Amino acid sequence: MIAKRIRLVAVLAITLLFLLAWVFPILWSVLNSLKTDSDVLAYPPKLFFSPTLEPYRDVLFGSASILPNLVSSFVISIGTTIITMLMAVPAAYALARLRFRGKKFAGFYVLATQMLPPVGIIIPYFLILRNIGWIDTYQGIILIYLSFSLPFAIWLLVSYFEDIPFEMEEAAYLDGASRMKTLWRIIIPQVRGGIAVTIVFVFLNAWNEFLFAVVLSGNTVRPVTVAMFNFVSVEQTLWAKLAAVSVLAMLPVVILGIVAQKNIVKGLTVGAVKGGGRR
Amino acid sequence: MPHAAATPPAGDLGRVLAQRERRFAAALLAPAFVALLATTTFPLLFLIGTSTFRMDLAMPFADGFVGLENYRTLLADDRFWSSLLVSLIYTASTVVLQVALGLALALLVMDMKRGQGWFRVVAILPVVLSPAVVGMIWRTFMLAPEFGIVDYLAINAGLGSQNWLGDPTLAMVSVVIIHTWQWTPFAFMVLLASLASLPEDIYEAARLDRASAWQRFKRITLPLLRPAIVMVVIMRTMVALTAFAAIFTVTGGGPGTATEILNLYAYRKSFTELSIGYGSALAVALLVVTILISGVLFAMRRAK
Amino acid sequence: MSGRGQVRFEDIVKMHGEFAALKGVTFEIEPGEFFALLGPSGSGKSTTLRILAGLDAPSAGRVYIDGQDITTADARDRDIAMVFQSYALYPHMTVYENIAFPLEMARMSKAEIVPAVQEAARKVAIEHLLQRKPGQLSGGQQQRCALARAIVRKARLFLLDEPLSNLDAKLRLETRTELKKLQRSLGVTAVYVTHDQEEAMTLADRMAVFMAGEIQQVGRPADVFARPNSIDVAAFIGSPPMNLIPARYKDGGIEIAGHRLETSLKESGERDVVVGIRPGAVRIAAGGIPAVVELVEDLGDTAILDLDCSGISIRARVSDGDVPREGTSLSITARAPDIHLFDATTRRRL
Repeated sequence: MIAKRIRLVAVLAITLLFLLAWVFPILWSVLNSLKTDSDVLAYPPKLFFSPTLEPYRDVLFGSASILPNLVSSFVISIGTTIITMLMAVPAAYALARLRFRGKKFAGFYVLATQMLPPVGIIIPYFLILRNIGWIDTYQGIILIYLSFSLPFAIWLLVSYFEDIPFEMEEAAYLDGASRMKTLWRIIIPQVRGGIAVTIVFVFLNAWNEFLFAVVLSGNTVRPVTVAMFNFVSVEQTLWAKLAAVSVLAMLPVVILGIVAQKNIVKGLTVGAVKGGGRR
Repeated sequence: MPHAAATPPAGDLGRVLAQRERRFAAALLAPAFVALLATTTFPLLFLIGTSTFRMDLAMPFADGFVGLENYRTLLADDRFWSSLLVSLIYTASTVVLQVALGLALALLVMDMKRGQGWFRVVAILPVVLSPAVVGMIWRTFMLAPEFGIVDYLAINAGLGSQNWLGDPTLAMVSVVIIHTWQWTPFAFMVLLASLASLPEDIYEAARLDRASAWQRFKRITLPLLRPAIVMVVIMRTMVALTAFAAIFTVTGGGPGTATEILNLYAYRKSFTELSIGYGSALAVALLVVTILISGVLFAMRRAK
Repeated sequence: MSGRGQVRFEDIVKMHGEFAALKGVTFEIEPGEFFALLGPSGSGKSTTLRILAGLDAPSAGRVYIDGQDITTADARDRDIAMVFQSYALYPHMTVYENIAFPLEMARMSKAEIVPAVQEAARKVAIEHLLQRKPGQLSGGQQQRCALARAIVRKARLFLLDEPLSNLDAKLRLETRTELKKLQRSLGVTAVYVTHDQEEAMTLADRMAVFMAGEIQQVGRPADVFARPNSIDVAAFIGSPPMNLIPARYKDGGIEIAGHRLETSLKESGERDVVVGIRPGAVRIAAGGIPAVVELVEDLGDTAILDLDCSGISIRARVSDGDVPREGTSLSITARAPDIHLFDATTRRRL
């Protein structure tokens, strides 16, 4: 009985430790974003302090405002999401439902493109975009973001399309609908949920991307993940402001993550299940 | 029946239908595949091309075709081999830690009667964050000397203040911990979902067969979980090999080249030292390594 | 508009790789007929329906509707309505929208669609459910919705793919009757796929019995029941199934368990045959084949006896009044017209 109780306490302690370990760095950033710089740097670290919104006011409306960077992040992420979905939805439908020669190969190709290390894509892309003057442009970044968002979106959507019974299409054909009408009026409305989940993940991945952004961004287009570096330099770190920027960069994805909570495992493991044969 | 000759033979309907379906499929696939060709396959070919050139943005006058010269240089390049080693250590340690911790936690949480929901929500937080932001938070508020929480804890534990990102060994440990912190929840969530899908009755049967808790874990849970574990290992390995932001923001590969994984080396060579040709060769090498390792992992997966 | 919905299949072959799902199927359906495609699963009846609908393409042969060769026509150009086994209701649309969909696709105006949908819904008694989504309907209501969607367009042909198989037993009987009435009142040609011989017997004007990719027999249900033209059809139609007993034919009679029974076939000579006797045609009468009652299955109004006639198993159906007890010895016989004879090698009726 006592052994059981000790075990229970141990388990509780360990799990709580993990919970704390995951929450703390995020929570700590939030707390620091509400401090003055001297409070941030206090030793020992201050858990209780008089909160201020000064850091947020500074990073949003101060001289080095990151508002343009937040706008950049949103434009890039939303643009990527729209273009990705416009291409991925029809492609995923074809891969999931239509019969044609080379379908297996096409599916494999989509999967294989994800194997390319991003650094191997950015080197040639940098050279090409430099030649056509697309560095530091939205179209340059959004285009290259398709390299990872498209395969991901296609595979995630395929799994949703496959859940719809074939009779749906057959019934629609017999009701006199064309293939396009069937797709638009019958099939797509039934995968609305899957499309929403895919949108969340595509947005999330675009928002979080860093390597491409750091190479291709400049003074006009600079997402917030890259702009963060303005607050840390060799000479000095603007602690509280950095915390505020981090929180602002985290906010949209955390909200989306919690909204998409139930589908997160499916979103994270997409493609892998199909990858090397069936489960 | 004069019109009979005009109608195609019946066997052709199959062909006609198949052709119609093929055309429709082609129309639906075309935009995505053109985009994929343009953003993945074409760059890959281009990359292989540039890897055979001397291409130096700092000294463009010396550019020219050099054949396999870059690859010869690469094989003799100590920094390449050391970055490859760092890649392997980084990948192996983060993947092992993620799976071990994720599995342990999933097993513990699975037995909890209440509070599972908390874990499911909290576990989402790290994985949805940008690795760049995660790196930045750790670099500053967690690992900065003295007021960084980790260092503060180290001081209070009597270890003294440590140069977490300045000492080569500690820097490596730090980047491994940061990656593990961010992605263990991934392993945890996938394995917890997999555990939850195991049928209850086999455990009841095993209990009736008088299997101990350890035996139940080893003989039932582990084999049934194996596909999920292998999947996590494969996915996490691919990501760890090409990790970038969380190292770039924290140490930039330093101190020196202590945390410079191959991916980062290729980046630094291309965009810091502006040696695009050699950087391309490094990127190709990384692709080869990725393919080899994934080949091994997929073979293991199939091998039961 | 009379004569709409006449169907002719000519030598339809369907190959799935090396496997022949249909091995040359030929039959005709008259306008206004309720025609059943009956057979066990995998016999080709569903493939036949799908080819008629234009959802599958035949490998060879031709299909005509109203004399017009539609073998290569697209499903949407055939003017055919179909009720699927799973109903295939569009889950994101209301019942009204489901029923209106085919009319919308035919580019009818709203002024025409509204009364047409009302009318179809009224015919299957679901007018009060028009604003619901399929997920909010019971199985029977879903089935009616599927029916309404099929009849609303007044297509020339009405296909039903096992439409009752997802209903529970009681509802199935009720719907069966209504389905027949509906088809009669619409006067439309209906093609009905089922594996349930009782369904086919009660609903169909005529039926085609499918076995292993071929049509074994086409005819009115009563005729097929009375004169099955092969052993396989005989075994498939009727419940409990016909007794099939290998025997020796000699000069107009057969010999079972050492006892001679006269048949209607009067031929001289001797041959191996398979004798078919329906359980209901087995009579208990003195001076027949000696048998022992092994098991009695009491069904209430009738009972099925499992009889052992010196090693040969025979089942008999008797009415409730005179059910012998298990273990009783008795003797059985059958009238000559009730004895079906089949060739033991060709399996065809003699």
